[in-house]
Amino acid sequence: MPRGCSDWHGTRAALRNGGGRLVPIPERALDGLPEFGRGGLSRRDLLAGGVGLLLAANGMPGLTTRGVLEAAAAQAADAPDAPILVSLYLDGGNDGLNTLVPLGDARYAELRSRIGVDPATALPLGDTPGFGWHPSLAGLRELYDAGKVAVLPAVDYGHPDQSHFNSGGYWRSGIVGPAPDRTGWLGRTLDAVGTRDNPLQGIHVGWGQDPSLNGKHAPVASVSSPSDFGFYIPDVWDEKAFLPTYRRLSRARAKHPSLAAVRRMYGNTIETHDRLAPLAGEEKPAPPPIAYPDTDLGKALGNLGRLLGAGFGTRIATVSSGGFDTHDAQATAHADLLQDLGDSLRAWQADLDARGLSPRVLTMIWSEFGRRPEDNDSGGTDHGAGGLLLLVGNRANGGVRSEFPGLTRLDDDENLVVTTDFRSVYATLLEDWLGVEAARVLPRVPGGSHLPLLRAA
Amino acid sequence: MAGATREAAMIERLWWRAGFGPRPRDLRGKRTHADLVHEFLHPRGATLEGPEPRVDGRPLSPANQYGQDVLWWLDRMVRGRHPLVERMTFNWHDHWATSNDKVGDVKLMMRQQRTLRRYALGNFRTLARAMVRDGAMQIWLDLAGSSDEAPNENFAREFFELFTLGANNGYTEKDIREAARALTGFTFDYDSKRFGFDPKQHDGGTKHILGRRGRFGPLDVVDLALENRHHAPYLCKQVWGYFSPRTPPPRLVKQLVSAYTQSGYEIAPVLSLILSDGALYADLEEPDMIKPPVVYVAGMLRQTGTYITTDDWVWMLDQMGQRPFYPPNVSGWEQNEAWLSTSALRMRFQAAASLLHDAIEDGAIPADRSPEQALEHSRTYAGEPWTSKATSSALASYSRLSVAGRDEKWEVKHYWPERERVLRQVLLAGPDAQVC
Repeated sequence: MPRGCSDWHGTRAALRNGGGRLVPIPERALDGLPEFGRGGLSRRDLLAGGVGLLLAANGMPGLTTRGVLEAAAAQAADAPDAPILVSLYLDGGNDGLNTLVPLGDARYAELRSRIGVDPATALPLGDTPGFGWHPSLAGLRELYDAGKVAVLPAVDYGHPDQSHFNSGGYWRSGIVGPAPDRTGWLGRTLDAVGTRDNPLQGIHVGWGQDPSLNGKHAPVASVSSPSDFGFYIPDVWDEKAFLPTYRRLSRARAKHPSLAAVRRMYGNTIETHDRLAPLAGEEKPAPPPIAYPDTDLGKALGNLGRLLGAGFGTRIATVSSGGFDTHDAQATAHADLLQDLGDSLRAWQADLDARGLSPRVLTMIWSEFGRRPEDNDSGGTDHGAGGLLLLVGNRANGGVRSEFPGLTRLDDDENLVVTTDFRSVYATLLEDWLGVEAARVLPRVPGGSHLPLLRAA
Repeated sequence: MAGATREAAMIERLWWRAGFGPRPRDLRGKRTHADLVHEFLHPRGATLEGPEPRVDGRPLSPANQYGQDVLWWLDRMVRGRHPLVERMTFNWHDHWATSNDKVGDVKLMMRQQRTLRRYALGNFRTLARAMVRDGAMQIWLDLAGSSDEAPNENFAREFFELFTLGANNGYTEKDIREAARALTGFTFDYDSKRFGFDPKQHDGGTKHILGRRGRFGPLDVVDLALENRHHAPYLCKQVWGYFSPRTPPPRLVKQLVSAYTQSGYEIAPVLSLILSDGALYADLEEPDMIKPPVVYVAGMLRQTGTYITTDDWVWMLDQMGQRPFYPPNVSGWEQNEAWLSTSALRMRFQAAASLLHDAIEDGAIPADRSPEQALEHSRTYAGEPWTSKATSSALASYSRLSVAGRDEKWEVKHYWPERERVLRQVLLAGPDAQVC
């Protein structure tokens, strides 16, 4: 864990103990902050108090500049206009080359002789000749044409590993190679900017746990359906009969990490239940302006829209969509997956617009790797490298925003050459969108890590 | 810990780690821990006991009814008389993780399950060779239809990475591609559902695999991987990992590897060492392994003497994160803390609640039942589970306070049974019940 932690916690403690005496930040506290916050939080913003930074006077002397900055970010977390990052994971290794199709590349048709997208059916990118969207992606194309999609082909890391397990693990932890612990990059982000008491600051929409949200301190929640999070025991009339006992047990000390983790998670679960109370009775939520597809992804995004709309202080949310490991019979399966993806995203953006949330929400769509440029004999594609990453949102810098390496020169494994390191994407999003110093979350950020992913508000 | 108590705690742990939890009588038996280990390793007699599962009054039909494959397996865990065989069969399902999500054929999945069961305590080489030829596996990892013209690497990659050597452990991308060539020739006809091997589609050329050179065929890949020096330590640690979340002590790994290799890849000697080793019984006073959902559910059914009469277990297991026959991916289920999330824990709570449905009627508890008696009755119902000091004292105070002052007739009628409903619930689903 980066050493900044003690600074931050000191700051939080000072904030809590400040008794409400509020002073503006002295300019000297911001010395040594030349480059931090190129987008999200700037020196100027801090001086102007633009993120609602309120510091107790007696908390100031012991604080480092970074402590001040991160206290601000922590405060911003509670602010109603705090930016939100949504991670949408395409599970299995999405075939980027058949999602954003390099129609202008002479080798595409030859490498994809069995499952290549017919150039006549692809949906052209108005501003970027030579590329077309898969014909099922009309929904995504609409968002792209509205300038709301930043496209990054060939994102991965050096010497990419073609195992789902390893590569997915690297993307989730934000660390290429063995990770020192179970934390994920989004969990560490919440450790830096989040609170210790609000599990809904980080939500995985689904049943399981998303390892990328694992943090050291920050509690997070998995919620599948927000109005269905009750605790019932048959013929027990009131949850008050048993929840106090469960709360007491969740706070008990444990000697070993397993029981300690269970108790902590029980505490989070009950806390999540308590906080979701406003949505518990919402039988028929207001319908979104564009209906979501009746798919797992459509439902998940619809539920996430309700959660974000309720204002629970969510900063990060994760959703995943499965089925992208298309080793065989890819053509129809992939078309269906992309149809679902494009339609769900279109409904998602319309829903966010209707809720007034779209200026605050950025959605990152990623996969653990791309697939082999040459299709296989089973009508599918094997594991490759250099996946396609998309950023969708009002603040996304619409257009193709990283280099496509072409299919003429492939790497030693006959895969796409990687032109952009995923950690550069993370670093940019952390600093420009979430207002967190990237080095606090990512131990090794590759050089030249700032990418033109966002545009001015 | 006193000798007799320690022995009892070891027996309880053995049932949870090497089986699917104890029934109440398993904890009251006269057999020693050593006797039990021997019995687990040398199963004899009938494999099942107790009433057959029924849903809506009808027997299961795993191949035809949605979700009944899951119930069928859960029933084996609940009624099985050979705990270690049942547990290892499931462990191998996790190891050779194959999902019906892609295979799409319950009969093939059941056939694979039978193979895993046959070799559950047997020879790993024999099992690995059977898995290469297993229909569900061949579809799952695209082995069927992989030909010399276009070898599919999926199986070869996972065979090294997950099944035999470990990620990046002694093999290269080149080895995977060469092994994929050696594994070509298997065929599958979708219409007739027949699997076969067509020598014409097999790449008969020379391959370089794991430092050896030859005209290798499919089953040679098994031997090449098993003979690799990275295999035995990897496999022994994997097997240990099914029994304990802790890193195995290096001296134990050495013993396991030597037992495994000297016996020619036999699993029973490895299991025998693991189940007898002190490292498995560390910290008996506070269990340190989080129960996988199938162990939690099957264990709860065994603790309470309940049999399967509903298919609700299918979606509940799914939402706890573990649906048999449907592992999330080829690396199987991630264990221990990975089971925990707010929604999965809520589902574990709900699973216990559904078990308690209709168990105590209003008016069924006499007004003179003391708090201590209420707790004792509840503990008996729940199969005398382990509880921490914190839980014991929280339950004792709940048992006192929940009915204090509730002396009206209608209150006695409802709240006295309600107290025991809650006590049972906490004993079956509370934090302590999640570890073993």
